Amino acid sequence: MNKLLGLATFAWLGSVVYPVLEYLKTPPQSEADVTSVVAAKIQNVKPNSGLVFRFGREPAILVSGPDGKLRAFSATCTHLQCTVQYRTDLQRIYCACHNGMYDLNGRNIAGPPPRPLTEFQVTVKGDDVVVSRA
Amino acid sequence: MSARPPGPIRWIRERLNIDPLIEFASHKQVPEWRGSFWYYFGGVSLFLFIVQVASGILLLMYYQPGEKTAYESVRFIVVKVKFGWLVRSIHSWAANLFILSVFIHMFSVYFTKAFRRPRELTWYSGFLLLALAFGFGFSGYLLPWNTLAYFATKVGTTIVAVLPVVGGPIMELLRAGKDVTTATLTRFYGLHVAILPAAFTLILGLHMMLIQTQGMHEPDTWPEGKRRYMPFFPNFILRDLLLWLIVLNILAILAVWFPWELGSKADPFGAAPQGIKPEWYFLFMYQGLKYFPAKLAGVDGEIVGIVLFGLAGLLWFLVPVWDARTPRGARNRFVNYVGVTVVLFIIVMTTLGLR
Amino acid sequence: MRRATFAALALGATLAWTCGAAAADPAPGGALAESTGTRAAAAAPGQSAVDQCLACHREQDSPEALAYANDIHAARGVSCADCHGGDSRSDDQDIAMSRARGYIGVPTKEQIPRVCGRCHGPGHDAFKTRFKLDDVLTAYGGSTHAHALESNSKGPQCVSCHGVHSIARVADARSPVHPSHVIDTCAKCHSDAAYMRDFDPALPVDQRDKYRTSIHGKRHAAGDLKVATCVSCHSNHRVLQVKDPRSPVYPTHVPETCAHCHADARTMAGYGIPTTQYAEFRESVHGKALLKRSDLNAPACNSCHGNHGAAPPGASSVIAVCGQCHQSNEELYDQSVHRGVFASKKLPGCVVCHSNHAVAPATDKLVSFDAPSPCARCHRNDGTDRTAPEIVRMRGLLDSLTVGQASALAALSHAENLGMDVTDARYSLKDVNQSVVQSRVAIHSFRVARLEEAARPGITIVAQARRAGEEAVHEYKFRREGLAVSTLIVTFLAVLLWLKIREIERRQKRENS
Repeated sequence: MNKLLGLATFAWLGSVVYPVLEYLKTPPQSEADVTSVVAAKIQNVKPNSGLVFRFGREPAILVSGPDGKLRAFSATCTHLQCTVQYRTDLQRIYCACHNGMYDLNGRNIAGPPPRPLTEFQVTVKGDDVVVSRA
Repeated sequence: MSARPPGPIRWIRERLNIDPLIEFASHKQVPEWRGSFWYYFGGVSLFLFIVQVASGILLLMYYQPGEKTAYESVRFIVVKVKFGWLVRSIHSWAANLFILSVFIHMFSVYFTKAFRRPRELTWYSGFLLLALAFGFGFSGYLLPWNTLAYFATKVGTTIVAVLPVVGGPIMELLRAGKDVTTATLTRFYGLHVAILPAAFTLILGLHMMLIQTQGMHEPDTWPEGKRRYMPFFPNFILRDLLLWLIVLNILAILAVWFPWELGSKADPFGAAPQGIKPEWYFLFMYQGLKYFPAKLAGVDGEIVGIVLFGLAGLLWFLVPVWDARTPRGARNRFVNYVGVTVVLFIIVMTTLGLR
Repeated sequence: MRRATFAALALGATLAWTCGAAAADPAPGGALAESTGTRAAAAAPGQSAVDQCLACHREQDSPEALAYANDIHAARGVSCADCHGGDSRSDDQDIAMSRARGYIGVPTKEQIPRVCGRCHGPGHDAFKTRFKLDDVLTAYGGSTHAHALESNSKGPQCVSCHGVHSIARVADARSPVHPSHVIDTCAKCHSDAAYMRDFDPALPVDQRDKYRTSIHGKRHAAGDLKVATCVSCHSNHRVLQVKDPRSPVYPTHVPETCAHCHADARTMAGYGIPTTQYAEFRESVHGKALLKRSDLNAPACNSCHGNHGAAPPGASSVIAVCGQCHQSNEELYDQSVHRGVFASKKLPGCVVCHSNHAVAPATDKLVSFDAPSPCARCHRNDGTDRTAPEIVRMRGLLDSLTVGQASALAALSHAENLGMDVTDARYSLKDVNQSVVQSRVAIHSFRVARLEEAARPGITIVAQARRAGEEAVHEYKFRREGLAVSTLIVTFLAVLLWLKIREIERRQKRENS
């Protein structure tokens, strides 16, 4: 009887300890902070280039103009929500879906987009290019 | 207890003088009568508090206070962390069951007159524990930073401000400012995980020490010849443990079948949802206040209400004082009537408030 | 002499007609000066019913007076004083041209609309009613021409288009605003770059040249006066700028304006073109965008046909025209095999599959062998057509996106109904739309590889989302199963514990008794 009791107790303890141990294993991505993201390392950013990266749950684009100035915008096109890209030949932000064009300030200058791209703030901290909500 | 004590206990006995304690504990008796059932609620309350501490510590591992991170971290726990949903729902359900259990415990003590001499201190410390439990409930409710929590906190702290002179400063102290903001969240977090646990543990320690040293209260009308007792160790303790086991399983069932909602993230600039009200254990006061007319003898109705409730609480707290005249062992019908009225009031108001 | 007789007769006739009308007004000046509605008041001594101004000035061979004989106003009994002020019944110059009697001499350009507006303006009187005169003054007053006149006296007013002393009716071939002449009349200013610079330097000045290349222009040159001229679309008096939302040629009004003629079977009889375009356009994607949502990015008739140089694009130029907006599609199509094939068969590119006016929302159903898909017109799925499997494959890719998207959403909804949180997967599905849009563009390459490139990212996300939904349901089941297992263990333990308690208590009873 006692043995059985001991076994049952052991089983019960297992059914409590196992979840606790699993709980303590931190899952891969942390969801907590989505107001600022490290977009790239400054050494990897060349003038006249663009980089699409993930900002929380949305895409964002880091643009380095021909003068090397860094800007970041939401990469969701204001027309039909496709993801925009940077065209080095046109030196503009371009949406491949319907040929929407934005200038280096995110303003919609040609094609169907009705509004400019939302601008984000870019700060360089040491090596990191940090993009945060304006 | 004639067998040799096992190794570890002998090891401790050689180093600490626990023999008197063991001796004392082995003689502790629990009266067996038709109201014995109510004795378990003290233990259940204690157990639920332990569950809260354990689940709370686990939640602490991932929770991040702050306007931008509170809701997200709770979401993280519930959605991403393995068994996070279980820990969170257990914590939320146990909080409610804890308060319910504490209410039952308090009323059972009240009606069995267990607060009488020499147990007045136990009653007073118990009342303080009740107040602290309310504090736990109120502060913890805000931590997930969802719409319901935010507005419930706003409403709740606004009521405090109604008090003349002290109301405003108290509200600002609670809110850490004029409005409910991130600062409020931080303050409530500090209250919930540090200040209140420390205070509660101290007073709980006092409460339990009193119970242990004074022994269990025996019923006032108990025929001399028919008195039966059950040993605390091992009988009562084992029964207690059995009940605790079942309560734990109930919590797990509640967590799986009625999981606690995340809600939507609080938007301070958004509109308050319809029918916002505090948690059920505050409802009887909240609903009661609604029945006071806008003005009573030139004074704001709400202030009158709050003052009245405050007075009622004080009287309840002081029941050992105004019951003291009753000769030992006699009933006090008046106390019973007051008690029944209070219970009915609470039940009716809570039901009305839930509509 | 005949002209003078005619004038006198007309005058007399008018006199006879208005005699019995409202009380004769002996007031000086032309009756117009006080707009009492009577003309040629009863003659007083020293005055006569004849237009003395005209008589005198004609004696002096004034060109205006001589020309006035041809003027419709003269025919209607309007005297010089009715416009210039003064008293036309007196042959005494001091009386006839006295300021006291309202004489204004040659009206300034700014005064002209008001002068003409005395009859051709608001208000009612017998004269206006008799000759059915519309309120042109108010219409003109609201126009951009009036606005131009306010800022610059060289701006257009009544006389600029209608002439001054030989005004003929619009229906009269001599009138500068007769359909045969109106284009040149408008072009007098609108083709003069130096003149237009003072008013709207950015406005083009090549409208007449363009018009001459258009179908309207060519037919007009051949003598067809039913075709559209400037005033048909721009209105005659209330001319508004194109960017003014009230203008009949504001983009959202253009289809209706063109439809005035082009949707009317009687007007278009004999031209051999359909009249269904407006109805078709209204139901099309372009029509709904332009007319219902007022989306100015959407094309109106002139976007594809041109406005002044209006002509339907030739079969070979259709692609370039559609490609104005649908650039990506044009680029892909130009590199595709269909370009050469369609050109050789003189098929009008985009229109073959998408129609010209009745452009319907393009769905994946366009890529199939089932009617009403256009592929089946040339392609056969019976083993003889080498390209048929490619068509099937392309449709398959499109379907795996859209159908896959729907099934992923269903899986996620199912999980949500069970109370599981799948917001992350839902968000990732948003990216699928990009893939869908780009795939539908990639179709225009008519190559499977290119389509796969566009569809692949979306198909991957869809698969992941569906998997997330299934995992959520799996987790839901796991929780319930886990609970069942732990409840079993607890029950087992609880029963054993209860038995242990009973055992202890029995032992205690035995020991005590």
